[in-house]
Amino acid sequence: MINANLNQVPEATADAGSQPLLLTYSQDIRGFLSFHIGRTALFIVTCTSVLSVLLIFSFIFIEALPFLAKFSLLEFLTSKAWYPEAQSPQFGALALIVGSIYVTVTAMIFSVPVGIFAAIFLSDIVSFEIRNIVKPVIELLAAIPSVAYGFFAVMVMAPWMQQKLGFSTGVNALNASFVLAVMALPTIISVAEDSMSAAGRELREASYGLGATRVETMFKVVIPSAHSGIIAAVILGMMRAIGETMVVWMASGNASQIPHPWWDLSQSIRTMTATIAGDMGETAKGSNHYRALFTVGLLLLVMTLCLNIVSEYLLSRTAKKSGKSK
Amino acid sequence: MRIFLRTIFDKTFTIMTYLVVLMIVALLVIILGPMLSRGLSAVIFKDTIEFRKMQFALYNRGNQSRILQETKETNAFRQKIYQTIDKFKQGIDTEALTEKVRKIYREFGQQLRYKELPPEQFTILRTQAKEIRDKLETAFASQDKSEIASCINNVMQYRDDQRFKDTAADGFFKLALEFKNSVEKIDLSKHYLYVKSLQELESLITELLGPRPDEPLPSTAMNQFGATRWDIAQRILDKILWTEQWVEHKPNELLVKIKALRAEQFAGTDIEPLFSYIKDNIEEMLKPKAKFYWQYFIDDSTPGHYFGGVGPEILGTLLLTLLSMLFAVPIGIIAAAYLTECSSENLIIKIIRMCINTLAGVPSIVFGLFGLSFFVLFFLPLLGFPSKPCILAASLTLAILTLPVMIRASEEAIRSVPQTYKEASLALGAGKFKTFMKVTMPAALPGILTGIILSLSRVAGETAPVLFTGAVALGPMPSSIFHSTRTLSYGSYDMAVGDRIAMMVPHNQYGMVATLVILILCLNIMAIVVRSRMFRKLHGH
Repeated sequence: MINANLNQVPEATADAGSQPLLLTYSQDIRGFLSFHIGRTALFIVTCTSVLSVLLIFSFIFIEALPFLAKFSLLEFLTSKAWYPEAQSPQFGALALIVGSIYVTVTAMIFSVPVGIFAAIFLSDIVSFEIRNIVKPVIELLAAIPSVAYGFFAVMVMAPWMQQKLGFSTGVNALNASFVLAVMALPTIISVAEDSMSAAGRELREASYGLGATRVETMFKVVIPSAHSGIIAAVILGMMRAIGETMVVWMASGNASQIPHPWWDLSQSIRTMTATIAGDMGETAKGSNHYRALFTVGLLLLVMTLCLNIVSEYLLSRTAKKSGKSK
Repeated sequence: MRIFLRTIFDKTFTIMTYLVVLMIVALLVIILGPMLSRGLSAVIFKDTIEFRKMQFALYNRGNQSRILQETKETNAFRQKIYQTIDKFKQGIDTEALTEKVRKIYREFGQQLRYKELPPEQFTILRTQAKEIRDKLETAFASQDKSEIASCINNVMQYRDDQRFKDTAADGFFKLALEFKNSVEKIDLSKHYLYVKSLQELESLITELLGPRPDEPLPSTAMNQFGATRWDIAQRILDKILWTEQWVEHKPNELLVKIKALRAEQFAGTDIEPLFSYIKDNIEEMLKPKAKFYWQYFIDDSTPGHYFGGVGPEILGTLLLTLLSMLFAVPIGIIAAAYLTECSSENLIIKIIRMCINTLAGVPSIVFGLFGLSFFVLFFLPLLGFPSKPCILAASLTLAILTLPVMIRASEEAIRSVPQTYKEASLALGAGKFKTFMKVTMPAALPGILTGIILSLSRVAGETAPVLFTGAVALGPMPSSIFHSTRTLSYGSYDMAVGDRIAMMVPHNQYGMVATLVILILCLNIMAIVVRSRMFRKLHGH
């Protein structure tokens, strides 16, 4: 009501001679209605994102449901045999799940130390001017489209690996992991840097005041204090890596197997995302294979959702902490 | 001592962080460097006469009379190669020779039949012709020079015979003489080796110079022209001059690759000097010229992107991104406005925020699945449109994908507008809506623009969501938004992995991906510039 009145007041005062200051009832109701109708309309538009999320979950689930009803979920999760187009098709996604986790973890092993060092560099070591130059450069790394990374992996990395490292194939788990690590770096760096900056001057100054060197301050004070933000950074990096399609499709070799021995990175593997991308073009709509791919998609969606919730929780904790310290 | 160690440790740590950042920058250079530099070579390069012919034939571009003139000049130099090879072939190509002899024999038989000779004479002539034929065939197949000489001499006895004059049988003698001349210089024990090497050489020369002028044009465009680029010509020349062989260097060791002169295969024959001729005259045969091929960005391409450019891909990418922005921008700005201006932090807003974050975390391939199952298979049929992948479905999918980016950027931009602006406007008596439209929006516009540009670049580069919803590797230009289209991103994938023909033209592979990367980098740099300007403005510098 008050808002509606506010809307009308300047008009009334502008030509005070001709119009009374008080609103008529119809003007009052019109203002009230337009305010609330406008607000509701805005709210409905805002809910598009909620609607999208609901639609995504429901449609992926609906398409996957017949598969879940027909085949056992346990076998889907524990069997290694993925032969969707065989005479008696088998849908065991274990090798795909392991493949996804495999490249993601390896990518994190590369990118987490590098990312944290770079975040420390940006938050604590260089001046503001240099930081303003380096940050956009790192952001450019995030801007390069994934298909370009995949192109790099196939056209540059793969021949190099085959010739210089003597691998039997250039498209393998190491190649995919390395490129994924580069892709995850910008996410990790920016989130970790934010949480380290949020740790506050006071902590650092107290530590320096006690005579600690920079490395001691960083590893004993700042990083422990910012740990939840850093873990959230790693999780966001993992989400980027596990959901990435083009790079793993192009660079991982697409062989549905679990590496044996397990640490042998030079073997080809296949991930969930690459399976969906690669197989969907060849399946008939509504076939078992098609439904199985939607089930893989559902699994992927659930995995990223869980990671997302964890990272949100951790980030809200850092936000609260920095709020308290202020 | 302890302090000394600690200082050393501290310094090493500092240096390490510098090294790490340097490494990241180096990575960026390593990834982008070859992509951009090799991609640039799709546009700026040295072309050859074959390229100009191709441009004229496929795109009707260039000066016809000059191309004809140049073709004439180059053909003069090429002719010698063809003549030498043909001459050498006379002594080598047993099959072709045998074929020719048989053809002459058949023609001769036909002529005899129309002459109405008495039956005995007919039989005699026929038998003699058959004898000549058999002798020649023995000569062609033989590897013994004395045997060949005796055979040819036998044949030549019949030459002065009046009955063979002015008939098809003349061909026998002509052929025999030519064969005699051409085998003189040839080591016949290497006969089969020659045949094989010659075939290889001929196919390489066709690759370099295109089909011979007197041959019929092949049906596919990629076989109609020789080396269109000087760098390719150089590569083929290298292949012509040198052969690669895998030989066993020492027993029980891996094979070693060695390079050998191809001319050695033809040592002592007429072909041998041909190699130095090709090497010395390749410029005259191809006429290289520096070329800035800007039409690369508008040209359609032949199958496999063997010739031509990325025009349809650029058009498709632009259509997809702009259409998806048409959906995403208004929704994004309105949602951001609602979240910042109209709401307090209650449960519903928390849920909305959570959904936005979830949406941002959904893997891109899942968006692809969703686009297929919702837009293509459900939404389009619901509205009465055909249920097939099309630009509309793809851009709607991309709009949802980029919604979180749009909302977050706009929200940040609206929040960064100083509170005093709004308070001043409200104090002047403007309503909330008016304040937002006239004060907050203009001040936040650069930030929102940054968000739009960033989502544009995100959408342009996405491949996985459009895989099943509207992108194809090959297809005509889209005529409406209910057709599928080629895009730069899917094209880059297809050329790098899927297309066998594209593997032969690395400059076009790199050209496609470089176009995409340059487009996205430009958008991002634009965003960075806009943002730094806004930052300066809002902070009063």
